Amino acid sequence: MAAVKAIVEAFGLAKHFAASRSLRQALRGERHVVRAVDGIDLRLERGESVGLVGESGSGKTTVGRLLLKLTAPSSGRLAFEGEDLGGMDKARTLRFRQQAQLVFQNPYDALNPRFSVRRALTEPLTNTRVARAEHETRIGEALRLVQLHDAQRYLDSLPHQLSGGQLQRVVLARALVLKPSFLVADEPVSMLDVSVRAGILNLLRDLKERLGLTAFYISHDLTLVRYVCERTLVMYLGKLVEDGPTDAVVNQPAHPYTQALIKAVPRPRVDQSRQQLPISGAIGDAANPLSGCRLRDRCPYAFARCTEEEPQLLEVAPGHRAACHLHQQPNA
Amino acid sequence: MAELLAVDDLAVTYRLGDTLVHAVDGVDLVLPEGAMLGLVGESGCGKTTLARALMGVLPGNATITRGRVLLAGTDLVSLSAGEHRARLWRDLSFVPQTAMNALDPVYRLRDQMREVLCRRGGLSRAAADRRSAELFTTVGLDPRRLMDYPHQFSGGMRQRAAIAMALALRPKLVIADEPVTALDVIVQRQVLDTFRGLGLELGLSAIIVTHDISVVAYLCSMIAVMYAGRIVEFGPIERVMGEPAHPYTMGLMNASPDLARAGAELTPIEGSPPSLVHPPMGCRFAERCPFAERACVQAMPATIEVAPGHSAACIRSGEAGELRRRAREVATWRQ
Amino acid sequence: MEAAEQLAASPSLPGAAGAPLGSKLSVLVAQLRDPYAFAGVVIYIAFVLVAIFADALAPYNPNDILFTADGQLAASLPPSAEHLLGTTQLGRDVFSQLVLGARPSLFVGMTAAVAVATIGTAAGLLSGYLGGFVDKLLMRLADILLGLPFLPFVIVVVALIGASLQHVVLAIVLLLWPNPARVIRSQVLTLTQRQFVEAARVTGASEWRIMLVHVAPNILPLSFLYGSIAVGWAILAQASVSFLGFGDSDVVSWGTMLQDAYASQALDRGQYSWFVPPGLCIVLVVLAGFFIGRGYEELLFPKLRDS
Repeated sequence: MAAVKAIVEAFGLAKHFAASRSLRQALRGERHVVRAVDGIDLRLERGESVGLVGESGSGKTTVGRLLLKLTAPSSGRLAFEGEDLGGMDKARTLRFRQQAQLVFQNPYDALNPRFSVRRALTEPLTNTRVARAEHETRIGEALRLVQLHDAQRYLDSLPHQLSGGQLQRVVLARALVLKPSFLVADEPVSMLDVSVRAGILNLLRDLKERLGLTAFYISHDLTLVRYVCERTLVMYLGKLVEDGPTDAVVNQPAHPYTQALIKAVPRPRVDQSRQQLPISGAIGDAANPLSGCRLRDRCPYAFARCTEEEPQLLEVAPGHRAACHLHQQPNA
Repeated sequence: MAELLAVDDLAVTYRLGDTLVHAVDGVDLVLPEGAMLGLVGESGCGKTTLARALMGVLPGNATITRGRVLLAGTDLVSLSAGEHRARLWRDLSFVPQTAMNALDPVYRLRDQMREVLCRRGGLSRAAADRRSAELFTTVGLDPRRLMDYPHQFSGGMRQRAAIAMALALRPKLVIADEPVTALDVIVQRQVLDTFRGLGLELGLSAIIVTHDISVVAYLCSMIAVMYAGRIVEFGPIERVMGEPAHPYTMGLMNASPDLARAGAELTPIEGSPPSLVHPPMGCRFAERCPFAERACVQAMPATIEVAPGHSAACIRSGEAGELRRRAREVATWRQ
Repeated sequence: MEAAEQLAASPSLPGAAGAPLGSKLSVLVAQLRDPYAFAGVVIYIAFVLVAIFADALAPYNPNDILFTADGQLAASLPPSAEHLLGTTQLGRDVFSQLVLGARPSLFVGMTAAVAVATIGTAAGLLSGYLGGFVDKLLMRLADILLGLPFLPFVIVVVALIGASLQHVVLAIVLLLWPNPARVIRSQVLTLTQRQFVEAARVTGASEWRIMLVHVAPNILPLSFLYGSIAVGWAILAQASVSFLGFGDSDVVSWGTMLQDAYASQALDRGQYSWFVPPGLCIVLVVLAGFFIGRGYEELLFPKLRDS
């Protein structure tokens, strides 16, 4: 029994979506199921910043929604602070909403265009039945935390009057106003200009220190994850392929997919590697993933075992796991 | 090297109701043949407007208010809309941000290629099909997939099909607007490599419009940095990125993360770009610039050549070495 | 968003691409700059005023059979100072009929419009937001109703349950509500994809609250638009029903005027001043509805503004 209780735990988490079928397929009785998340185990310790990296179609956004109880899992168990998420009643769910918050990708869309900043920040407090008397202080605190000083200026503004960076800070403030212990950030800076991103990322780093938040970053951007997360998970077609301390994952990637991801990221330098990527082709079909290892049709190292057996997530170094048969050779 | 494209003091204004937005306000550019130029800037800087002005596909409420665009000697601005459009696809072609804008979802790729090759290129159907197969192979697509519809292609493949279409009539210049922004990182690399291959093998001249300086570092030989409707720095990529002479470029480099450099602190540039409705009189970056002086806000800085082929619009570019040193310190950027 | 370059980026929500409809009234008034909107609103207001002050404006009781000074039936008189539009074959003043005929027409138009807009909006909201069974049920019902021929249906209903104005309104509403319902439903579907709706859910809002506070205000402009178009259709329907003789014959309306004129062969006799004015009034009111729709279209679909 761990001394520090994990704040989020998932076992065999899966989410399947029924995809639309053509008439011919329906008549034939073919079922098209998209296995967005296909059995993952997850454990987030209190105070950790963990990143989930994957391309579109990897299922990472679905994982975020599952963790926040915005959608129910098709199978598997999900627990928050030891309690089963699915079994929560209405009252407990409302309290969960206060404890677990989401930072959205698109700051231009995450705020109701008709609501002033004040209204947007009050809304969560009203929803979770926080006493009126406390509203003013909480809102002020939240704005200070996100470094929007001169609160009065912002409180009466409407979203279209603010810049992207300011908007994202308001979105963050809205998440923080409920004093959550768990924060999920889904592509928190991808829609912001480069010169503005750094500010938000530094803020997120700073908040983690100050508030001791447990944070879960979902992104396709490895550089972002590297900047703010201690631990990194890599996802491909609904499965976790690598899990370890960020430095280890980036410097000694154990899984071919991770290796490709790292090599593929362009760098702001003229002298960068322009080598051919080890991975070819495009992401597989989530409705019909391959038997054995899902990456085998794109992986240059694939051998017989990869077709027959699905690789499990096993340790390749202390605290660093990868799901690849290459590391499980008997004579390795 | 022969000069393929020269842009001379180009200005484009949008009319929105009663307001005028000066989206591009005096841009000078030079592109030699066989070079790829990266046009870098953040949202609202005017780079997309500039790209569209070069193509001759500005929306109805935008006008070119001054300047010239010389493509192999002809001033595109002086042409009528019809004449400019006629050059589209032949001299000059376009890869848009989302390939869905280039590809018609109800026609097979083969038919769309035929439309360009036969209609505009005057080829026979058979010749068009041969050329289409050739083009597909060049961009790394299986020629058998010409019979598919766009929705049967993945995002990266669609983008490559759009590139193939852009190359159909062997244009002198291809302009790509955010060609890889919407793509995943592995696919992005594949498309970038396609472009790179075209540059190396065919000597393709291109202008890559993007907000991502890393993409430009990977792909291009020249770079133009745009801010608030003007080009603030221009030159060969090694020089501009290695020894930036304009504070905005220095700031951008500081704010751009590098996966291979662990833990290096990223520094944002505080503030936002100025309004393009009433642009400031002096340097447009002055209010956010840590090195701004009185003279900066009084008059628009002239473009100064800091090295052969490398110019920056900053009156302090003579001190660039010293400014670069200070720019590397985080404290400099804290306002 | 900062620059002109990103102006059309937001989807077709009122105000999303600029100042939001914070103060709906001021924005509605501002839109009167558009000539169509202005024309439409002016026509509506004019007719409403006429209907309200009909009693004062009409020189005679429309049902009174009138006699000339020398005791003769004042039948089929041409327009004059005493009878601005002449008289009917039975000696009734046409102008008075026209003015008082505005009342039932506008009554039908307005009540039908409000009902259609309300029911259509509610149905669209529930259908789009709740989805599932409710959605399927409502939309299949809408499909069936949209398949029915409009006028014959109204006639049948009126023939079955009686030819009062309220029944006409009922029949009209029954067939017209699916129109706004479908459009509002698709708008709701788009809205529920917006991140701020998900944000509301994450911060603890109940589904009802989301529907009423976040979604509904964004679709009200559409309801308004459909309401204004429905006025015209309803008036046209009522007039048609009356013209065909299925309406309430006790009430003088533009439709009954046309029926009378037709029955007494006013066209053959060239008595234009009898049947042209009511026809014109109907056309004007229907046009006004469309003008308002056209004029406010830009408000609802900002992308049109750029082209």
